[in-house]
Amino acid sequence: MTTAWDLILPRGLWRRLREHLFPGDGGEHGAVIAAGVARTPTGGRLLAREVIFARDGVDYVPGERGYRMLTADFVRDSIISCRNEELAYLAVHCHGGTNHVAFSPDDVASHERGYPALLDISEGQIVGGLVFAHHAVAGDLWFPNGDRITLRRAVLVGGTRHTLTPEATWPDARPDPRFDRQSRLFGQTGQSVLSDLTVAVVGAGGVGSLAVELLARLGVGHLLVIDPDRVEASNLSRLVDATRLDAMSWFTGLDRPEWVRAIGRRFAAPKVRVARRVARRANPSTTFDAMQRDVTEQDVALALTAVDYIFLAADSMQARLVVNAIAHQYLIPMVQIGAKVRARGDTGELLEVYSVARPVTPESGCLWCNGLIPPGRLAAEAYTEDERGAQRYVDDPTVVAPSVITLNAMATSWAVNEFMCMMTGLPRPYDGSAYVEFWPQSGEVRRGRPRRDNDCPECGVDASSRRARGDSRRLPTRSR
Amino acid sequence: MGPDVARAVEEVRAAFPANPVHATDDGDGGAWVVVEDVDVGTSCQPSETWVGFRIAFQYPYTDVYPHFIRPDLVRSDGRVLGEGTSPGAFPLDGRPAIQVSRRSNRWDAARDNAAIKLLKVVGWLRNHP
Repeated sequence: MTTAWDLILPRGLWRRLREHLFPGDGGEHGAVIAAGVARTPTGGRLLAREVIFARDGVDYVPGERGYRMLTADFVRDSIISCRNEELAYLAVHCHGGTNHVAFSPDDVASHERGYPALLDISEGQIVGGLVFAHHAVAGDLWFPNGDRITLRRAVLVGGTRHTLTPEATWPDARPDPRFDRQSRLFGQTGQSVLSDLTVAVVGAGGVGSLAVELLARLGVGHLLVIDPDRVEASNLSRLVDATRLDAMSWFTGLDRPEWVRAIGRRFAAPKVRVARRVARRANPSTTFDAMQRDVTEQDVALALTAVDYIFLAADSMQARLVVNAIAHQYLIPMVQIGAKVRARGDTGELLEVYSVARPVTPESGCLWCNGLIPPGRLAAEAYTEDERGAQRYVDDPTVVAPSVITLNAMATSWAVNEFMCMMTGLPRPYDGSAYVEFWPQSGEVRRGRPRRDNDCPECGVDASSRRARGDSRRLPTRSR
Repeated sequence: MGPDVARAVEEVRAAFPANPVHATDDGDGGAWVVVEDVDVGTSCQPSETWVGFRIAFQYPYTDVYPHFIRPDLVRSDGRVLGEGTSPGAFPLDGRPAIQVSRRSNRWDAARDNAAIKLLKVVGWLRNHP
C-alpha cells in the first residue's frame, strides 16, 4: 500500500504565507509551518496550525552554501517551540515559477546535512522542508523512525478546496455518461475530484439518508455512514428507501404483545444497512463503509479523522461536540443539518418552523462558540432515557421533536450543493461559512455569519485550543 | 475515568478536604462522585448530608447537575426546600434521595468546574431564603 502524506492548509493561513513568500519582488523568502500530525491508515496529514515568518535579513539571510538560509537562532527557537507544542516542524521557502516546483540540489544537500540533527532536537516530531511556487508545492518529510517521504500534495481548505502538487496534474477525466449532465456544470475535472473524496455522514435518519442519496448520485467516491439505530415504523415517512419490512412493522405494531414487539425491534434493519442500499442503487461505483455504532465511541470518532468532509445529521449534542472537535482538531470541513419546530404547549400554535444548515470550516466559528452545544443538554444526554424520565428532565416544552421529509430536504439539498461547490471550485459570492435557515411558513431564507471566539477551546487562536492539533489531543469521546 | 474527569474529582477533594469523597467510574469515562458529611448549615435539618452527582465523560464541556442529597433533609423553618428539588433516587445505587436540579445557565468550560458547582449548590442549600 502506498504511503501518502498531505499538508492541510487553511486558506487564511495560505493567504498570509503566500503574501510573505511572493510579495512581488521576485526574491526568495522563508518561514516555518508548525503542524499537527494526523496518521491515517494509508499515511497521514500534516495540519498547519501556525506560520512563523522569517524576517528578511534578520531570520532569513544569505546562505553559506545555498542562496538563502534560516538563521541558526530562528531554527532553534522554532523547532523548540514545535517540540514543546508536539507539532511538526516544516521549513518553508519559495522558488520562482507557477505550476511546477522542485527542491534544488543545494536544498536537498541542506536537508541531508541538517535534518538528522533537527530530528534529535524535535524529540519525536516530524521535521521537513517545503518549497512553494505560486501554484505548486514540493515537500521532503523526515520521520523519527528513519522514514523519508515525499509530500503528495497540499490541500487548501476553507470555503473552497484546492490542491497544490509539485507538478500541475489533471485528474483522470474520462467521461462517465452517468454524470454527463452534471459534469457540464463543473467539468470532468470536478467529477473526478468528487470521485476521489471520502465523505462521512453521521446519522442515517431523515436528514442523513437524503444526504447519502444525493452524495452517491453526485458521484462521491467513498462514503462512511455512522448510525447505531434500527429502522422504526415512525421513520418510514422520511427515511429514503426504508420499507415496512425494514421496520418489521408487523411485529412492532402497538397491538402486539411486548415480546413480539421486542423481536421486531431486535430484527429491524439497521439504518446504515438501508443507507448502503440507497448508495449502491444510486451509484454502484461508490464504496461504502457502514458503522452501526455511536460516534461518541472513541474508535468510531477516530474513523472520521481521515475523511475529507463530514455531514452531521445526528440529533444529539454529544455527537455535535465530538464532530465539532474533529472538524477543528483535524481541519476537516463539516456541515450540521437539522430542523426545529416550536409550538405552544396549550394551543399547539406553531411558533417557529425552520430547517438549517450550519457549515463549519477550519477558519470559521464553530458550533461550541456559537452556543449550539448547550452544556445542560450534554449533561442530560449522559443519562439513559429512563433516568431522564425519573429525574423529570424537561427540555424546552415548546420544542416538539420534528422530522418532516420536506423540511429535511430543504436544508440537506442546500448543504450538499454547498459541498459540491466547495469541492469542484464553482464560484460563489461568499466564503461558504454562513449559516442558512429555511423558513417555509414565510418563504424566507435567512443567512447569518457565525461568530468566532478567539479563546474558544475548539477553534480559537489561543495556544490551548485543539485547532490543528491532530492526534496529540484527546477527543471528547467515551472511553471504555 | 478520563483525565479531565479525574482532575475534576481531585478538585472536589481539594475543595472539601475534611470530607470523604468517593468516586466510581461510570463506564464511559465519567464518574459518579459522593461527598460525605457536607455541612449545609443550621437552615437545614439535619445539618449534614451526603451529596452525589455525576461528572459525565464530556466534562468540562458538560454542566454538572443534578445533585442528589439525603431524602430526609428539610428546612429548619418548615418551608419547602426550594425550586428545582424533588424526591427521587440516586442513579448510582438507587438509594432514595432528593434531587437538586440547579442547572448553570452560563456554564463556561474554561472557568466552571465540578467543585465550584458543588460549592454553589451547597451555598444555595445553606442560604436559599
